[in-house]
Amino acid sequence: MIRFKSIISRIVILHVVAVVITSIFMSLALSWLLNYATDNIHDKAMQEQAVSVGEHLSARSDGSLELDLPLDLLGLYSQAYGRYSYAVVDDRGHVLFSSLKDHAALFTADTRSAAVEFLQQRRGDATVSGASVRKTIGNQVVWIQAGEDLANRDVLIDDIVADFYRNVGWITLPILLVLLIADIAIFRRALRPLRQASEIASDIGPTRTDLRLPTDEIPREVRPLVSAINLALDRLEEGFRIQRDFTADAAHELRTPLSILRTRLDTLGDEGIARALRKDVDGMAHIISQLLDIAELDSFVVDPREKADLRAVAAEVAEFVAPLALAQGKDIALLGTTEPVWVTGNPEMLSRAIRNLAENAINHTAPGTTVEFIVDDDGTVSVLDRGPGVAEDERNLIFQRFWRRDRRKAGSTGLGLSIVQRIAELHSATITLTNRHPNGAGFSVKFLPSGS
Amino acid sequence: MRLLVVEDNAELAELVAKGLRSAGYDADILSSADEAANVLRTTFYAALILDLGLPDGDGLELLRELRHRNNPIPVLVLTARGGLRDRVLGLRSGADDYLVKPFALEELVARLEAQLRRPGQLLGSSLRIANLEFDTINRQASIDEQPQMLSARETAVLELLMRGKGRVVSKKQVEDHIFGHSGEVASNAVEVYVHRLRKQLAERGARVQVHTIRGVGYLIAEEK
Repeated sequence: MIRFKSIISRIVILHVVAVVITSIFMSLALSWLLNYATDNIHDKAMQEQAVSVGEHLSARSDGSLELDLPLDLLGLYSQAYGRYSYAVVDDRGHVLFSSLKDHAALFTADTRSAAVEFLQQRRGDATVSGASVRKTIGNQVVWIQAGEDLANRDVLIDDIVADFYRNVGWITLPILLVLLIADIAIFRRALRPLRQASEIASDIGPTRTDLRLPTDEIPREVRPLVSAINLALDRLEEGFRIQRDFTADAAHELRTPLSILRTRLDTLGDEGIARALRKDVDGMAHIISQLLDIAELDSFVVDPREKADLRAVAAEVAEFVAPLALAQGKDIALLGTTEPVWVTGNPEMLSRAIRNLAENAINHTAPGTTVEFIVDDDGTVSVLDRGPGVAEDERNLIFQRFWRRDRRKAGSTGLGLSIVQRIAELHSATITLTNRHPNGAGFSVKFLPSGS
Repeated sequence: MRLLVVEDNAELAELVAKGLRSAGYDADILSSADEAANVLRTTFYAALILDLGLPDGDGLELLRELRHRNNPIPVLVLTARGGLRDRVLGLRSGADDYLVKPFALEELVARLEAQLRRPGQLLGSSLRIANLEFDTINRQASIDEQPQMLSARETAVLELLMRGKGRVVSKKQVEDHIFGHSGEVASNAVEVYVHRLRKQLAERGARVQVHTIRGVGYLIAEEK
């Protein structure tokens, strides 16, 4: 079974096959019909000739038969003309009269069965076809045979058959071809709304779940498919919405009880135990907030049309973390370009990535040192610290979830760098990790510059 | 001074109100944005503490509506969403400050008071860090209760830093505050004034430190 890739090619192929079959069949059928008709005419004519020959047969007084053909008939059956011939045979098979040179019967077959019979017989080079008609004259029964040499058959009739192929037979082909072109045009027109729907469909993605395919102009035969696709899109959008709502709901559900706990501890006063519990709650809140970030990232899709000013985002983060760093006796500096640096990406996600890098750097940098943010106009943001740096065998481990060099160390969840990596992945950004001289680590994330 | 707490979690609302009362404020509690919108039309409150995740709609809507009606009430937003961008969005919608849950009660009160001390707001006019005090009405700085003479621009810088206590004040903000939008400002002008202020404060024995965050701005904090 041949598989067709497109409906148009299917139509063309099947149509061509139909055209070929139809033209062959039609010419065969028509030529058969034509032959049949000419044969009929020929048989009728032969029968009439036999009858008219018979009209000139008469019985003599001695009982023998006499044939007295008028001149025009004699001419018709003359040897010179050679086209038509006749013979009269009696009931014993004797040839009474014959226009043939050898005075023979036209048809040797036993013709004495029917009143009228149509026969054909080869005589030498020629094929004679004609009719045999029974006639009773006086008390004698004779059979009058009239025949025509097919080799000399009427040229007019042959011309009609030949002309049929030239004029009638071939005209079917262009008609069928015009039909084919019309079919293709109709089909292409009918498919145009589908092409438009395809263009809309290609815009649908996780960032555009609100688009639906138009059904108004879609042919009715295809509309169930398009409607079903739209319903499927509804269900998908609902799925996305549920997933997005989940993280927002989870954030609310987890943070509210923590707030109650934290506030209740605050109203206890500043006893030692309350202070320790507050610290525990704050640590837990930090882990929960990072887990929520991860949950959100798992269902997050970057809209390729979204862009962010990396420099502004970095400044925002530096402003936000500076009090935190200063409280630990560490400094923050924002270096590099002071011009906006537009990159493709979601500003909130970029800000989270830089914030996690910054928190990581503040955690590791030695007191009295500076954590540097550097924004490059090629779309790179770097965060440099003066900490111990990253050992060669830990380079990949640090990006794993919950990995920590020192599990006893407070303030680190082991999630920060995995969040950075996930955000970088989502933005097709590359992370470079370098160790600084004489000590310290530098994380650079290079985002894709945005067109404008 | 009466504050309005709009928070749908009754327990948290009650705890926050209790904390505010022990800090010397009266606090009313409402649990929906609708109620809050109605009450705020007829009743005057010194400040609004607004949870963003309310059952009958986003608190941001209420905030936009308030600002649309030119209601200048200081609004401190509480939210379960911790993103920096959410913060920016909240501030753009008209919030004066933003706290992510869970928060320290102390922090809540401090942020609230910073708002209430804004010009035109109700709280006393005095800002204080360690032994340094700034009276926003007379625009007078004192160290150990001794009034200090500072130049007009040093005073302006100090006021801005004291209002932004605990947070970074960007260089741009300082620039706008001192020079307004008028004309060209020498690129190092702000640094010059901050440097002078820092020197003055140190010479006069203020136990505060004016930190420079390179490329970002300035922050005033108690000396360690």
